[in-house]
Amino acid sequence: MSDPGDTNALRGEVLPVAIFAAIALTMPLWFPWIGGYSGLDTKILIFVIFVLGFDLLLGFTGYLSFGHAAFFGTSAYTTGLTLLHFSAEIIPAMLMSVLVTFVLALLIGLLLTKRTGIYFAILTLAFASMLYRAALSIFSDWTGGDNGLTGLPTPVLFGQPLHDTPMFLLVAAFAILGFWIALRIARSPFGLMLRAIKSNQERLAYTGVDVSLYKLWGFIVSGLYGGVAGSLMVIYEPYVATHFLHWTMSGEVVIMAVIGGVGTLIGPMIGAGFMMYFENVASAWIGEQWLLVLGLLFVLIMMYMPGGFMEGGRRLRAWFRHRRGIADAPTPEENDTHG
Amino acid sequence: MSNAVFLQLLTGLQLGAIYMLIALGLTLIFGTLGVVNFAHGALFMLGAYLGVIIAGETGFLLAILLVPPLLFLIGLLLERGIIQHFYDRPHTDQILVTFGIAIVVQEALKWIFGANNIPFPTPSWGSGVVMLHEYLPFLDGIVVYPQWRLILVVVSLVTVLALFGLLQFTRFGLVVRAGMRDSEILRFLGINIERRFAIVFGLGAGIAGIAGLFGGPVTQVYPGIGMAYLVPSFLVVVIGGMGSVPGAVLAALLLGMALSFSAEYSNIQQIIIYLIAVIVLLVRPRGLLGKKGVLE
Amino acid sequence: MSDRPDDPKNNRGKGFSRRDFLKTSAVTGAIAGAGPTVFTRNAWAEREAIGNYPVKGKAVTFGFNVPQTGAYADEGADELRAYKLAVKHLNNGGGMLETMAPNELTGQGVLGKKVEYVSGDTQTDPDAARTSARRMIERDKVIMWGGGSSSATAIAQQYLAQEMGVVYMCGLTHSNDTTGKDRRRYGFRHFFNAYMSGKALGPVLADAYGTDRRAYHLTADYTWGHTQYDSIKQFTEAEGWTTVNNIMTPLGSSDYSQFLTQVLNSDADVLVLNHYGQDMVNSLTQAVQFGMRDMQKNGKDMQIVVPLYSRLMAQGAGAENIDGVFGSTAWNWALEDEGSQAFTKTFEAEYGFPPSQAAQTCYVQTLLYADACERAGTFYPPEVIKALEDHRITGIGPGEAHYRKGDHQCFKDMLVVQGKGPAEKEGEYDLLKIYQQVPREDVTYPVDTFPGKLGPYRPA
Repeated sequence: MSDPGDTNALRGEVLPVAIFAAIALTMPLWFPWIGGYSGLDTKILIFVIFVLGFDLLLGFTGYLSFGHAAFFGTSAYTTGLTLLHFSAEIIPAMLMSVLVTFVLALLIGLLLTKRTGIYFAILTLAFASMLYRAALSIFSDWTGGDNGLTGLPTPVLFGQPLHDTPMFLLVAAFAILGFWIALRIARSPFGLMLRAIKSNQERLAYTGVDVSLYKLWGFIVSGLYGGVAGSLMVIYEPYVATHFLHWTMSGEVVIMAVIGGVGTLIGPMIGAGFMMYFENVASAWIGEQWLLVLGLLFVLIMMYMPGGFMEGGRRLRAWFRHRRGIADAPTPEENDTHG
Repeated sequence: MSNAVFLQLLTGLQLGAIYMLIALGLTLIFGTLGVVNFAHGALFMLGAYLGVIIAGETGFLLAILLVPPLLFLIGLLLERGIIQHFYDRPHTDQILVTFGIAIVVQEALKWIFGANNIPFPTPSWGSGVVMLHEYLPFLDGIVVYPQWRLILVVVSLVTVLALFGLLQFTRFGLVVRAGMRDSEILRFLGINIERRFAIVFGLGAGIAGIAGLFGGPVTQVYPGIGMAYLVPSFLVVVIGGMGSVPGAVLAALLLGMALSFSAEYSNIQQIIIYLIAVIVLLVRPRGLLGKKGVLE
Repeated sequence: MSDRPDDPKNNRGKGFSRRDFLKTSAVTGAIAGAGPTVFTRNAWAEREAIGNYPVKGKAVTFGFNVPQTGAYADEGADELRAYKLAVKHLNNGGGMLETMAPNELTGQGVLGKKVEYVSGDTQTDPDAARTSARRMIERDKVIMWGGGSSSATAIAQQYLAQEMGVVYMCGLTHSNDTTGKDRRRYGFRHFFNAYMSGKALGPVLADAYGTDRRAYHLTADYTWGHTQYDSIKQFTEAEGWTTVNNIMTPLGSSDYSQFLTQVLNSDADVLVLNHYGQDMVNSLTQAVQFGMRDMQKNGKDMQIVVPLYSRLMAQGAGAENIDGVFGSTAWNWALEDEGSQAFTKTFEAEYGFPPSQAAQTCYVQTLLYADACERAGTFYPPEVIKALEDHRITGIGPGEAHYRKGDHQCFKDMLVVQGKGPAEKEGEYDLLKIYQQVPREDVTYPVDTFPGKLGPYRPA
C-alpha cells in the first residue's frame, strides 16, 4: 500500500527501530573489533534504556531531573531483594521493581508538579540523595550498606539461568521495545502535549489543558524507563551497588543525553554508548588521565557542538551535501525528530 | 545556657560560615548571570591549592593578598573564554560545560600534586585554641574552641557585609541588581552589561578564593574537595532563594545549625540537609528569600 | 602436568560466550567422544574450562585493577608499581623470588609462560570495579586479577570472581567481612583485618595509656567502619576500657566539627577515629585543631588513636598531627627481615622511593598466586586455590604466612605503629615508627569467629 500515512509510519518508526535493532543485535559481532567485550554491550544497552526515559523528560517536557538515579537505584534494590528473598525468577522481581518505581515516581511527581527550572532539578537531587544516604545508613541492614547487596542467586527466566548471551538478548529486547515506545510517545498526542509544555506551559494552561497531569505522567513514564534499566542492571550483574543511587549516577545520564543531543532520542542513545565505551575501553588506552581527557571533551563539545553528537552528524551531512553541490531541503524526518 | 548547647551553637555557626562563603559566590553568579556553575566547587578548590602553595612559600599573610585577586583573574578568564557563550543556552548545557571544567581542574590538580591530601597547617597566629571561658563568664569550667574556626566566622561575616555593601550602595551594585531583574532593559539603556557580568563572575570566583584560602586549613586540600562541597553549596543557594545574598546567609546558618544539633543522630545527620531542602522548597517554592521569576 | 594449548575447547568463537560454550561443548564433547579425543577424555573431563582456563598461547595475563581516579589514586598508583615489579621479577627473577621459601618460581614466567598484564581503574567504586574487572576477564582473558583500596570494591569483586571462576587476590581491604561473612572461594586476602587490628592494639593501648580509660569513637558510617568499631570496642573493653559513645559519621565528610564538639562535651579521655583515607586525615587534623592532644580529661592526658594507618594517610595528615598517635599497619618498609628488604631494595631501585603497605600486599599476592600455579602444575583454578590454601611460606615479610583454608584470610605478623613527629622524622617517607611487631599467633582467631561460607571450587 502506498498510503502516505503508511510511509510516514515506516519512515518514522519502523525504519529507525529496525536500524537500531540491527545495530544492537549484531553488537556482540562487531563490538569486540573496537575493543569492546561481552558484558559491556549489555551494560550499554541498559543505559540506553535509562537515557531514553531521561530524554523523554528533559528533551520533550523540558524538565531537568538531577535525581534520576532514584528510580534506577530503587528499582535495582527492589530487584535485588526480590531475587534474594523471594525467587531467582526475574519476572516477579521485574514486576515488583516496576511497581515500586511507579509508586516512587508518582509520589515524587505529585510533590513536584508545580516546581520548575532549577528548583525542580535540586528537589529531584535532594530526593535521590536522601534515598542514597538512607541506603547507606538507615536501611543498611537490608541494602548491605556500602558493600552493596551481595550474594544474589543467578537470576533465571523460566528456570533458565541468565548468563551472557541470553542476558544480552533480554536486555536488547527491552532496549528495542523501549526505543519503539519512546518513538510512539514522541509522535502521539501525549508526546505533542509534553512538547507543548516545554515550549510554553502557561499558554497551554489557558487552553484548559491540565498541564500538571501531563507533566506527572511524563515524569512517571520517564521514571519507569529508569526502573526497568535498574532492574535489568541487577539481573545482569547480580549485585547492587549503592552507587546506583548516587548523584553522580544521575549526572552521568544527564551527560549522556546532553552530549548526544537532547530531545532527539537517538542522540542520547549514542551518548550512552560513547560514555560507557569511553569509561571502560578508551580509559584503559589513555591510562590514569582518562578523566581529564573526558572533561576536556565535554567542554569542547559544548563549546563547538552545542547540539551534541546529533548536531555533529547534521553538520557532517550538510558538509557532504555541500561538497557534492546538492542543496537538499531538510527531510521531514529531520524536522520531526530533531525538533 | 549549658556549655554543651553553647558549643553546639558555635559549631553550627562556623559550619554555616564555610557553606556561606562558598555559596555566596555561587548565588551571585546564579542570580546575576543565570548560570548554573558546577565549576564553583573547583574554584573553591583552586583557592585552597593556591593558598597552601603560596602560604607554604611566603607565609599566609601574602596568600591573603594574592589568592583572591588570582581567583578573580581566573574567573574573568573563564567567563570571557567559556561562560559568556552560555548565557542564552539551556541549563543542561551550562551544567555540562561547567561540570567539564570542574573535572578538568580536579584531574589537572591530581596530575600535578597527586590525589593525596596536602597538609595545610593553620598559620601560627591562628592556631591553637581560645579559652572561651575566660571571655564569657556564663560558661562554667573550661571551654575551648579552635582559634582558626573563630577567625573563619569573622572572615565570612566581613565578606558578606562587604558584598552586601557593594551590591546595595554602589553604582556597580545598582546595575548588577537591575541586571538580575532584567538584563534586556539594561542593554536597551546602553549600559555595558557584558563587562559588568564578567566582573561579577570574577567576583564570585574571588569569593570562592577567600573560601578556599581560609577554609583550606579546615577542610584540607585534596582533589576531591571541590566536588565534596558542590552539592551542599547548591542546596544552600536554593534553600536561601536563587540569587539572594541574605537568603544564602540564612540558609547556610540553618544547615550549619541542623548539622551541629543532629550530630549524635547518625541516621538524621545523613539526610538532614536534603530533608531541609525538600521541606523548605515544598513550603516555599522559591526558597526562603527567593524572588519570583529568577531561574524558573 | 601443564596447560595444553591444543585443548579441543580452545577454538572459541568470537561473540560466543564462555558459558554457552561450556554447555555446547559438553554436548559436542559427548558426540566427539567417539572420535580421537576418546584417549584424553578422562584427562580433560576433570579439567573443564573454568574462567579463562585453559590459557592459550605463550603468555599468561594478570589483571591489575587499582584506583586511578578518586581519593585513593595515589595508593592505586603505588599498587600498580608493585604489580609491575612483581611481573618483572616473575619473568626475570629477583626481589622476593630470592627470599621466598619454599619457592617453585623460576624467574622465567609461570608454568613456562611469560607473564603479561593489563590494568584498569576501579574508581574506588564497586560498580566501576566490577565493570573494569569484567573487561579484564572477558576481553583480556586474565587468569587472575587483583588490587583495589576499599573493602566494598574488594567484596563486590570477590563475588564476581566466584561467578566467573577467575581468582581475585584482594588488594588493600581491612573489613572483617572480606574474609568473614563475604568470604569467597575465589577470593584471597593477604592484608590483615579490623579484628586483628583490635587484637593487636588492645593490649598495647592498655599498656601505654592504662586500663581505666574512657573512649569516644567516631566511625565512618559504612561497613568497614562498623566492623572496625566493633573490633576495637571489643578488645579495648576486654582491657578494662569504657566506651562512652560512638557516632557514625557520614562517609566522605569534610568537616567533623559537629562530632568533635560532642566529644568535647563528653567525659571521654581517648578519641578513637575509625576512619580511613581522607576521612581520617580530616578527622585527625581537625581533632588536633580542637586541642584534643593538649587536653586534660579525668586528670589524664587526652589521647587519639587511629586503628588503621597507612603511609599516605600519615603523609596527608602531616607529622605534627600524627606525632605519637598509635595505630596498626600491615607492613612497613623499615622492616629488616630478608623478604621485606629484598622487596624494598628492588622497589627503591626501580622507582626511587620506598613502597607502601598496599604495594607490599599486592606484590606478595601476585607472587603467591604464581607460586601456587607452579606447585599445582596448572592454571586450573580449583587446583591453584587448593595449592594456595594452608600453604605455609616464609621470606615474604616478617615470619611465616599462610592463607587459612577455612576463610582465605592470610595470617602473618603485623605491626603496631606510632606516628613520627617532625623532630623524629628522617625524610619524606619516614612517617611511622614500629612500636611492636605482633606475632602471627597473637592475632590469629578461630575460623568460625565470623559466619560465612566460601562456596564451591567450581563456580556454578
